[in-house]
Amino acid sequence: MKYMNLSITKIHEAILKGEVTPLELVKEAIEACKKDDNNSFEYICEKEAIERVDKLDESKKDSLLYGIPVVIKDNYSTKDIPTTGSSNMLNGYVPIFSSEVVLRLEKAGAIVVAKATMDELAMGGSGTTGHLGITYNPWDKSKTHLIGGSSCGSASSVAAGIVPFSIGSDTGDSVRKPASYGALVGFKPSWGRISRFGLFPFATSLDHVAYFTRNVEDSAILLNVLAGRDDKDFSSSFKPVEDYTARLNESVKGKKIAVIKEIMDSISNTSIKEAFNKNIAALKNLGAIVEPVSIDHKLLKAIYPTYIIISCAESTSNNANLDGVKFGPRESGESFEEIMTNTRSKGFSRLIKRRFVIGGYSLLKENQDELFVRAQKCRRLIVDAFNKVFEKYDAIYCPASPKVAPLVSSDSDALSDEYLIADNYMAFANMGGFPSITLPLGFEDNLPFGGNLTGKPFDESGVLSIAKVIENCTGLKDLVAKEGK
Amino acid sequence: MEFEAVIGLEIHVEMKTKSKMFSSGPVSYGEDPNTEVNVVDMGFPGVMPVVNKQAVINAIRVSNALHMSIDDVVMFERKNYFYSDLPKGYQITQQFRPIGSNGYLIITTSQGERKIGIERLHMEEDTCKQLHSWDFSLLDYNRAGIPLIEIVSRPDLRTGEEAAKYVEKIRSIVSFLDVSDGKMEEGSLRCDVNISLREKGTEKFGTKVEIKNLNSIANIQKAIDFEISRQSIILDFGGVIEQETRRFDEGSKETVLMRVKTDAVDYKYFTEPNIAPIKLSKEFIDEAIRTSPELAEVKLERYKSLGLNEYDSNLLLADKDISNYYDEAIISGANPKLLANWIIGDVQSVLNKDGISIKSFKVSPSLLSELVLLIEQGKVSNKQAREFFAKMIENPISPKKLLEESGTSLISDEDTLKAIVKEVVDANEQSVIDYKNGKDRALGFIVGQIMKKTQGKANPGLTSKLVLEEIKRR
Amino acid sequence: MKTVTKEVLKTTANKLMFDMSDEQYDHLVSEFDILIKQMNLIGEIEGVDTAEPMTFPFDVTNDYLREDVATAPENKEEILKNSADVVDGQIRLPKVVK
Repeated sequence: MKYMNLSITKIHEAILKGEVTPLELVKEAIEACKKDDNNSFEYICEKEAIERVDKLDESKKDSLLYGIPVVIKDNYSTKDIPTTGSSNMLNGYVPIFSSEVVLRLEKAGAIVVAKATMDELAMGGSGTTGHLGITYNPWDKSKTHLIGGSSCGSASSVAAGIVPFSIGSDTGDSVRKPASYGALVGFKPSWGRISRFGLFPFATSLDHVAYFTRNVEDSAILLNVLAGRDDKDFSSSFKPVEDYTARLNESVKGKKIAVIKEIMDSISNTSIKEAFNKNIAALKNLGAIVEPVSIDHKLLKAIYPTYIIISCAESTSNNANLDGVKFGPRESGESFEEIMTNTRSKGFSRLIKRRFVIGGYSLLKENQDELFVRAQKCRRLIVDAFNKVFEKYDAIYCPASPKVAPLVSSDSDALSDEYLIADNYMAFANMGGFPSITLPLGFEDNLPFGGNLTGKPFDESGVLSIAKVIENCTGLKDLVAKEGK
Repeated sequence: MEFEAVIGLEIHVEMKTKSKMFSSGPVSYGEDPNTEVNVVDMGFPGVMPVVNKQAVINAIRVSNALHMSIDDVVMFERKNYFYSDLPKGYQITQQFRPIGSNGYLIITTSQGERKIGIERLHMEEDTCKQLHSWDFSLLDYNRAGIPLIEIVSRPDLRTGEEAAKYVEKIRSIVSFLDVSDGKMEEGSLRCDVNISLREKGTEKFGTKVEIKNLNSIANIQKAIDFEISRQSIILDFGGVIEQETRRFDEGSKETVLMRVKTDAVDYKYFTEPNIAPIKLSKEFIDEAIRTSPELAEVKLERYKSLGLNEYDSNLLLADKDISNYYDEAIISGANPKLLANWIIGDVQSVLNKDGISIKSFKVSPSLLSELVLLIEQGKVSNKQAREFFAKMIENPISPKKLLEESGTSLISDEDTLKAIVKEVVDANEQSVIDYKNGKDRALGFIVGQIMKKTQGKANPGLTSKLVLEEIKRR
Repeated sequence: MKTVTKEVLKTTANKLMFDMSDEQYDHLVSEFDILIKQMNLIGEIEGVDTAEPMTFPFDVTNDYLREDVATAPENKEEILKNSADVVDGQIRLPKVVK
């Protein structure tokens, strides 16, 4: 009997009934990690996981995550477990502290079985730029399609049924995009809802803790474990937490959902449009009020460049601690300047260095007004435009991507509407800190695609309740690639 | 040509909070390298800064003492640059909105009073400490993250003396407010000088030279005096002042070139995105000021009102810890003047002799005031008190107890003493007659007889008074 | 907007303490070409110049400050174990010349 392809609640029931033990679950997950052929992992924590199972406190058996294996993106600090952010800059780095997310998961009884590979330092959306190379899409046995990034290993491990859920991080769409390519539920709660202490920062003002599950209910269960104030993270919210599963069965009747017209217009793929419209019709049938709403086309096109400038600028500073002095590999040199320059020249990949130059250049005194500050001003206009929609609507719903998982060799036209809008609009939810969830919508040639639902800041319960209805309508849940289509 | 110096000072003050500016790592001095460090101070990936409340309170108090406007929104920026002593590759500081702005300080020099403008006061974090040997440098992160206050004066200072007085006053303020030790020798107060010369009577600034590595107030004055004469000579001979950074060489008492300034470094400042703006309520700011420890000038007024003269008051105020000792001692109600005399005199000489600070002085303020009260009440003589004090320095026990043990408590009870006086006067009628005939020495004889009878325990003042009364009656 | 040259980008990279290959700088010049065009378009959006720059996703002003209580420091060996060169309980670098 396999368990890792089941939902959290099903596995939990099996543990309570004594059908399976945490040790057996961990062994199943570890074996699956070892057999993984999609290049999902940086490090498999076999010894550490088994030790942790030994230390499980049986009196906490009622916790839904008790004994359940989880995979963590390699940009979360894990005490005594190597954490590299998939960068050669951090090869051999073994943190002496754990991130708050990991601490909360462990407290709830979850067992970390592996660290997932990713785009280097979470920059990049392809799942190809980490120091271990390309991560493949489990839905495609020919190894020609990507799972997408930056949380590629976290996505592929859940899509392949290796673990029931995994932790990723989302700065532009790094969980919500791969979720679309992997038939997964990818949820990014509000900025400040989950502590980021111990998450390697990429762009602090846009970074969010986010995660993958295979159904909406599991997503709510996880939020119950992860949400809440942490004094170690100054941006962590004081807003009281809720029971995020409480409103999962709420009716969608009378709820108002906006579909952004310009985003729909920028999509050419007919399978996606059809599936989306079919889903809309079903929602309307259940009494939801779904309406097209317009947002200035220029603003939507501005999301991506605004995101690039802000994220690159913040990332140059956030990663300035990687200099070979205190941790990580060190290259030789006659002076500290030479050591830093040699170490950073060798340790960062080309893409990262180009992004750093973009960020550094945008922050220079003579350029700040026209680049960094202009991007921050534009961010305000973008967020204001979406907030205006939220004044009248409970949520915004659109396809999460204009196409299915791209080919390994694919290239996009950086100036096209489809690229600038449909493929990159989801960063608006990072700019405004909105809770945003991607969930399966359909398949084209056996490759999945998803829809994305976004709500008002801290309305996680509202977003999850509509997402649950969408899931009910599509019937697409608990999908696992190896046994699936 | 006659020149005028234009001098501005940047002072960094290391706070003596319990924890660091942005982490709960401990603040301490003199510990083994890298033993007072936590993950935040090292800048490990994923750590986040959390602002120290006491550091904000301290900054408010110093701003208030410097008559500055206090910003009720606290924000921080990142100053981005790479250096061996900078753990994160940026320093968190307050570039755009310093917590204090637009203040002043009145200083008194040999030329009289002057008002020195202060541009800004902001909070930031310290870097790690570097120990340089002949071929390598070692990094100690104990200092990394210690809260700093930076105080930037306007270019209002004109002489080395003014600069020295200004720094002295800042040091007194941060020290009396319990914000810092303010020790230049130990680096808890650091001062950089910006100095340029211009023809007297003109407005335009000359080329600025920066002087670093000043480790005492005396050296600030010396360095500025030297620099003024150095620049004057160059200008007098038609030379040009280079924009450069110099340091003060203690041996030669001269400033020497460190480096020629190239283009200003672009620190790429931007808002620290980990720290959302902090709104300080009016109550919070008011409370920080209300509960602020007293400044030296406030204490001076209070001491004067207790009857101390300015000279003695200033002796007490020369050391904040001594004035605190005094403040604690006067709570008992002992005579303030007498207490001050004891502290300025006997206590100070013990401190000097043993080379210790008042903080390691064994006799507590309450024990000293107990001793002074015994003197006031006439229970011990000055001579006896000094004997007790000598014992208390060795072993800090209560002077009351010493008195009991010695059994030498003075007889100060009037009725007891009156009876003895009557007895002795009765026995010496001739002396009474002699005294009345103008032989003053006869009084001394009678008192001497009483002392003899009481084994020296009779309160001398009271005895003389009672003897006189008794003689008058006859 | 000034033109972005290879030289400027090289200086920018060097100030960030790294260097890249010539071909990468060329690549970057073309990336900047697109990015600058996009940012110029943003400059034309109505109201962008008068908008208040946004750092935080929403109004997150708060009044929280950490109490000044020190926690136990990390173990010295642990703190230093990830550094490539440690001598006498301190991290070693070539002599830093001021």
